Amino acid sequence: MRRNVAIISVGYNGRFVSKRPDISIVEMLEQAVRNAISKTKLKPHEIDAFVVGNMHTFEGVNMGNLWASEHILALNKPVMRIATGGTTGMSVFHCAYYHVASGLYDVVCAIGWEKHDEGDAQIGLGGILLPEVFSLAHFGPDLTGKRGGGLGLMGGGGGSTGGASFQAASYLAKSGGGIEHIDMAAALMRANAAKNPYAHLQVPNCKPEDIAKTPIISWPLRYGHTCPTSCGACAVILVAEEKVKKFADTDKVAWVKGVACGTSDATIGNVHDGQITDPADQEICKIVARRAYKKAGIRNPKKEIQVAEVYDGFAHQVLMWPEKLLLVDEGASPKLIEQGYYNLDGELPVNPSGGVTSTNAIGASALVRVAEAALQIMGMAEGGHQVDKKIKNAVAHGWGGLFQFVTVTVLGDTPVKK
Amino acid sequence: MKRRVAIVGYKLMKNTRASEWTRERIYYELSKSLLEELEIKREDIDTFIFASNDFADGRTISEVYLVQRMGAYMRDESKVEQEALNACLYAWLRIQSGEYDTAMVGMASLASSQFKPLLVQNHELDPVYERPRGLINFYSGAGFQARAYMERFKNFTESHIARYAEKGYRNALKNQYSLQIIPPSIEKIENSDPIYLPIRELEVAPYADGGGVVILASAEKAKKLTKKPVWIEGVGSAQDTYWIGERDLVKLDGLREAARRAYRMAGIKNPKKEISFAEVQTFFASEEPVIAEALGLFEEGSGAEVIEKGLSEIDGKIPVNPSGGSFGGNPMGGTSLIGLINAVKQLREEADDFQVEKAKRALVHSQDGVCAQHNTVMILSAGGKK
Amino acid sequence: MIHEAVETLVPISFMYKNRVGRYLQHYLNGLKEKKILGSKCSGCGRVVVPPRSACGRCCGVMDELVELPQEGKLVNWTVCYVKLEGGEFKRIDPYIIGMIQLDGCDSLLSAKVLDLQPENVKIGMRVKALWKEETTGDYTDLVGFIPL
Repeated sequence: MRRNVAIISVGYNGRFVSKRPDISIVEMLEQAVRNAISKTKLKPHEIDAFVVGNMHTFEGVNMGNLWASEHILALNKPVMRIATGGTTGMSVFHCAYYHVASGLYDVVCAIGWEKHDEGDAQIGLGGILLPEVFSLAHFGPDLTGKRGGGLGLMGGGGGSTGGASFQAASYLAKSGGGIEHIDMAAALMRANAAKNPYAHLQVPNCKPEDIAKTPIISWPLRYGHTCPTSCGACAVILVAEEKVKKFADTDKVAWVKGVACGTSDATIGNVHDGQITDPADQEICKIVARRAYKKAGIRNPKKEIQVAEVYDGFAHQVLMWPEKLLLVDEGASPKLIEQGYYNLDGELPVNPSGGVTSTNAIGASALVRVAEAALQIMGMAEGGHQVDKKIKNAVAHGWGGLFQFVTVTVLGDTPVKK
Repeated sequence: MKRRVAIVGYKLMKNTRASEWTRERIYYELSKSLLEELEIKREDIDTFIFASNDFADGRTISEVYLVQRMGAYMRDESKVEQEALNACLYAWLRIQSGEYDTAMVGMASLASSQFKPLLVQNHELDPVYERPRGLINFYSGAGFQARAYMERFKNFTESHIARYAEKGYRNALKNQYSLQIIPPSIEKIENSDPIYLPIRELEVAPYADGGGVVILASAEKAKKLTKKPVWIEGVGSAQDTYWIGERDLVKLDGLREAARRAYRMAGIKNPKKEISFAEVQTFFASEEPVIAEALGLFEEGSGAEVIEKGLSEIDGKIPVNPSGGSFGGNPMGGTSLIGLINAVKQLREEADDFQVEKAKRALVHSQDGVCAQHNTVMILSAGGKK
Repeated sequence: MIHEAVETLVPISFMYKNRVGRYLQHYLNGLKEKKILGSKCSGCGRVVVPPRSACGRCCGVMDELVELPQEGKLVNWTVCYVKLEGGEFKRIDPYIIGMIQLDGCDSLLSAKVLDLQPENVKIGMRVKALWKEETTGDYTDLVGFIPL
């Protein structure tokens, strides 16, 4: 029999920023966990288990969770570590959800974090796409450009931006949109972020023209379309239905109605099952979304979902993901964003938090999507980014790996009936 | 516990110093052959859980190219980045929730041929205190632990540590899937190069390349898939403090907590009587008596007596690591899955030359971090018997 | 292994700039002044070294920095024969690493123990801190401990 699970609090260590030279990794985690606990009636030792996740090649610490036993208040408690690339945060959340849904634990804290100022993000990201390139660069052709005349790392795939530009170009071709729509999406994200005290890149009243002034990195992606590398941690506390009254400090909690995840192929341009793998197709996202909606009892996502927090590592994905999540028709986003459909006061607000385009602490980002969707349901989004209508259902989405991992979480203001 | 979950099948790769197969090939071959053996397709597996470590695999998000090889293309998957037994635990949690009925868990580690374990372990230390000071690491931690044990129980000497190592090598030789190292004599081990005294070179488990895959299933599915299910009766997990200066390295509070939780779930009140054998994860021979006692399998301080009287031998009172444990090869990051598979073999009476008689209930253990900081314990029981 | 055979042409190094955080910064400042600082928990009174912000036992905040005595007893020890270099253990002249319980501290401090032969080690023997002449605010300022 299904066990219902609710999110009762969301904590951040503070605003996501580029550098936090003043605190260590473990101190950052502690701030987030204590912040989450402070918004509940929980005493710290009442948390049963912890799930932690980050992409550790960005800090150079192999098992950061081991170092942080005391700081995340987990001494002699179960701690599990999850890491799945960009979607780490939501995989962590799913793991924490299963910890409670299994019946084994009642109160679990999910923590996603990243401290990018301690490493070089592009090397970490490049390591996904083309580690072979790095071996080559180590022993052979000068791809870094250091000896002059080299291709530069951009030529070798350019970390994730190069790869994402394939996806963006294909998406524009299929949907009939143009680079101006990506500018609109990025501007919307930056403007939303300005109403979110925890977001990194805040540009009040950002306009598409402002974005269009930024240089192109790899067509059609501009500098203004990409996400920053942020430092920060997010902690979310999940509680089983029977214990919500005891531990929640608010009447409105966000119920986890359906979670699902999946993976497709990493390589681009191969033929699989008669289909050429194109990162803009994202069949897996549709499959996963359908599964999550089914578990959540949602028959018509277009009508039943009031807000979406999607993982937009690059601004074109603000347009792409709502289509793949079956919230709008395929190819509809360019027209819809022109009409303001995705605005904070639009029909379907997308990323009221500013999304990943405005804040990207990789290990935390997908968890922040869930956290922000939960805040919308709980009516607790601060700084002006609370959507001004009753949110009955929200969908949070995470993406990672090499355009292949997808995680989807559907939250609601009431639990699924058993 | 809502649902009974069983391990219904396994496939193991022979430990080797230098694998001819890439990690991708290991996952492919093991997963494919296991699915064929059980006569199911990859579509019958509801979720795939990987156990791999980016540092060890040398690439970010190391499962990016592995998911398809294990059969997870367009299917549900996730990755646990700790010792592989935790991936089994996650799969168990998923099945417990009722949303899944079957799960595949896999690991492939090239600890011997592809990466330098010492570097990976060095990066498990915090970067701002222990790593720069260079005093505490896995090896010095083991040295401290062994010394503390010897000080507390004066009849335990350096020679006994060598004897535990020799037992490991000797058992491993009986296990066809181990590295097949000819066991050095106790004298040779005792006189091997010192590393962090009292730990010596031959008392360190040898690194290996290895791979393994298991399938877990809920009771209803398990009965259809195999006549010999191995039931997971109890699980427990706990993470102790990172700081070596705040731990009693002999008592191992964190490990006791993990074991306590697993025993309670499995309804075990007296492990000494109710556990048939144990597969515990050790990096060093000196850890075996400490861990076995913290698990409650032997009296505290009985390390010398146990090895002298052969109480933990394959035909002893409670065999510990009848497969040889890590002394048959330590594919770092996945060793505990091999321990799990070896325990499953025992309970299904498929362990050939290292078979424990009348094996009914097993304890499987995994550790992460210096001196077993994070521990996971599982209790398994044999099914399919009258 | 291949990378031993081939010469590196363009070295790519993963540059990490790990932050010590507030508490370890205080600790390092203390070392410069030849002081050993620990932190004390406002909840349960536990004192640990190196100092940190969170107390594991009671989940309290360890917001008080305390200067610890420079003497204590040797509680555990091992003899180190190796050094990690290039991913391998290289053999070096052995030295003793000890776990020292400074008076009044609840956690043990690991440090080199000098002027002591393994055969003369006695658990419980008193040791005191040995400092560099010129301190720079680095872990090496505290050279180790010597028997009293």
